[in-house]
Amino acid sequence: MSTPKAPAGHFTLLYFASATSFTRKQHDFFAAPLPLAKLYNAIEEKYPGIKAKVLESSALTVNLDYVDVEEEVQKGDGGLVIQAGDEVAIIPPVSSG
Amino acid sequence: MAAEPSPVMCIEEENLFVQLTHDRLDIPSIMARVKSPKAGAVVLFAGTTRDSFADKPVVHLAYSAYAPLALRTMQSIARDVKGKHSLTAIAMVHRLGVCPVGEESILIAVSSPHRLAAWRAGEQALEECKERVEVWKLEEFGGSEGAVWRANRDGQAGARVEDTMGDVGGQR
Repeated sequence: MSTPKAPAGHFTLLYFASATSFTRKQHDFFAAPLPLAKLYNAIEEKYPGIKAKVLESSALTVNLDYVDVEEEVQKGDGGLVIQAGDEVAIIPPVSSG
Repeated sequence: MAAEPSPVMCIEEENLFVQLTHDRLDIPSIMARVKSPKAGAVVLFAGTTRDSFADKPVVHLAYSAYAPLALRTMQSIARDVKGKHSLTAIAMVHRLGVCPVGEESILIAVSSPHRLAAWRAGEQALEECKERVEVWKLEEFGGSEGAVWRANRDGQAGARVEDTMGDVGGQR
């Protein structure tokens, strides 16, 4: 259950459930810093179609805190920037129990 | 006697315990965690794997989790429910990995001086877990049905694994 450690200058993006099915991976490393507003496009470039199939119905966390992607996009330059060493995760609709 | 739970897979506070485990769930153990001379009522909920979903036979369920976040969320729910219902104690355990038909995937145990709070708390704890905890259920139907990532919210239909697979380098 340990999180993979990102190489210097990178952050970790964790995939779960339908995100792991789509990418066939548990995680990726992306170059940092990266404004959150640019994240979805960066993932889509690597995995065409993932936005519509997965991201749009999923939540997102950065260092275990939920972030509102829409809200950060609205803020433009003032929005959250993902830093090297951060742990970002795609959270598809949950199904415990 | 059950082994001590691995530290990174459980959070323990006074009269509060939440855990993720790959082992078969242990009912006597969770009951022991919440029982107390102060509590006249103990309510245990056990969720088990059914043999079908919408009339389709299920081979098994497999659960995966974002463990650190799932634990944090379970802790938050447990604290909230414990406080709201003035419980004596609360414990919640979720199983990870393959959960065969008929076996428990989640246990929630609550105790309180009197029964009304215990019934209500148990129900609230389960509903909140199902809505929020970062655990995912993969339903394996077998054969051409393939597998489906279930979604609890809004009674939504799940995402078939085949449908979510991207076209990676032209291969499927």
